[in-house]
Amino acid sequence: MHCLETDALGHRYPSGEAVLDDIHLRVPEGSIYGFLGPNGAGKTTTLRLLLGLLRKQQGTISIFGKRLDAHRIEILRNIGSLIESPSLYDHLTAPENLALLRTIYRVPKAWIGDALQRVGLSGTGRKKVGQFSLGMKQRLSLAVALLHRPRLLILDEPTNGLDPNGIVEMRELLTRLNREHGTTIVVSSHLLPEIEKLATHVGIIHKGRMKFQGTLDALRHTRAGAAVTLSTNDDRRALQLLSAEVPDARCADGGIVLPAMSNERIAHVNRRLVEQGVGVHGLGVARTDLEAIFMGMVGAEA
Amino acid sequence: MSADFMHAFQSEWQKKRRSLASYLVVVGAFFTPAIIIVVRLLHHDALRTLYAADDFWTLLWKNAWESMAIFFLPMAAILATSLMTQLEVRNNAWKQVHTLPLSPMTIFTAKLAVILVMLVQFIVLFNVGIYLSAVIPCLLVSGTPYPHAPLPLRDFLTQDALYFIACLPIIAAQYLLSLQFRNFLVPIGVGFLAWVGALAALSWKFGYVLPYTYSMLNYLKDMPAGRAVVPAFDVGWLAGGYFVLFVVVGYGLWVGRAQKG
Repeated sequence: MHCLETDALGHRYPSGEAVLDDIHLRVPEGSIYGFLGPNGAGKTTTLRLLLGLLRKQQGTISIFGKRLDAHRIEILRNIGSLIESPSLYDHLTAPENLALLRTIYRVPKAWIGDALQRVGLSGTGRKKVGQFSLGMKQRLSLAVALLHRPRLLILDEPTNGLDPNGIVEMRELLTRLNREHGTTIVVSSHLLPEIEKLATHVGIIHKGRMKFQGTLDALRHTRAGAAVTLSTNDDRRALQLLSAEVPDARCADGGIVLPAMSNERIAHVNRRLVEQGVGVHGLGVARTDLEAIFMGMVGAEA
Repeated sequence: MSADFMHAFQSEWQKKRRSLASYLVVVGAFFTPAIIIVVRLLHHDALRTLYAADDFWTLLWKNAWESMAIFFLPMAAILATSLMTQLEVRNNAWKQVHTLPLSPMTIFTAKLAVILVMLVQFIVLFNVGIYLSAVIPCLLVSGTPYPHAPLPLRDFLTQDALYFIACLPIIAAQYLLSLQFRNFLVPIGVGFLAWVGALAALSWKFGYVLPYTYSMLNYLKDMPAGRAVVPAFDVGWLAGGYFVLFVVVGYGLWVGRAQKG
């Protein structure tokens, strides 16, 4: 069961330039979906479309099995969101900011204290939000998103402005919400390590197109396609010797990078170079962590 | 009236707490009465005669409303509307408002309703201020009697209602502008220019077509001829018509925006 689905979602700037093209998001119920992509990839535009902050031009959006167009208010009642910078009233205190929303969501007053406690802001007293640090504002924004205990949280770069300790706390909070309350969380970021530690599912977007979507494990399995790195005492000659057999071989990062190949073929390359008198210092598979995979996906067209 | 609207109104009302707009309403409403009190205390020798006059309340009412109708009321409507609407822009909060489970119509009308209630609050506080400007001098200056003339409350409330109606087009126009432009200076600047234009148009026979003139015309209609060309018909209808027009256009432009927040 998917909590959130989009089909053929597309968006263009007034100039006609495509920002999103054929986005098919599938966010499983109860998952933490990491929405990854470099700056300007289309993450925020996608999230804004999901919340109705941008007028949809193309495609469909379904949340909780219902079309957003037809059931907007009903759907929004069960969504908490944080899009880009904090949306808070600086002249009010933290509890007063939440009280505005409590009135709309019609939730018990006690939930204000609960939300503030969850984000570690229960002791701010009568301090106005305008006097908060960016990190505190970010936490309060999360409290705003959590106040009505939504089924789905949509968070755009929620760790912006947080110190390392705050990032860890935020991660723990989101994980706990997901585990204890079954809250589905869509969290966008351009920082892979952050998503890697948090998400169960990942969607990678680049230049407005989805490059990957699936579980974190499935993403890790794409390592089979990782490149081979080679280090010799004469890279120029090695490249010449391999030019016929491995035409895609190239010099990079002080060594030679070969496209993905089988173990037998790697052994063959090694043997051939040694037979021709080229000393092989190092031979191995290129970095296969998620960052390398991510960079491979978004870097190929960059 | 739907429950959603009531909750949205309540939420909007909470937002104005400690805001500049809420302070403006209180300070603006009591400014003229405070000046009257000070002037009367400075000229305390003349108070006994003044307070014994049969038309004491009518004179006080006219004195108080002169600066209010011409300057403070239109300015308060311009500033309060722009400040209230800019709360979201200044705090980057429109995107939060648009993701609330409320229809756009509810969001639009709740904020407008709060501004209208603030205008009522402004007029009520001004009335309280006028009354205090009568009472405080006779409490502070010995020998000054409480005015014996009856308080024409009904007439004053009718006048209040007319001033309220006169301000409706200003509020609707400022609301439209404030929703359209993120830069705070645009609605304030346009509002100020429209006020200056209205002031200049008072002696023009078609000055009444300008929607910012009505509070001035409402005051000047009982004044000797020459200060303004007051139309023979009730400008309240024009004010109401402009209000509806600006609200409908404002809503259409606001709800039709491709990007919200």
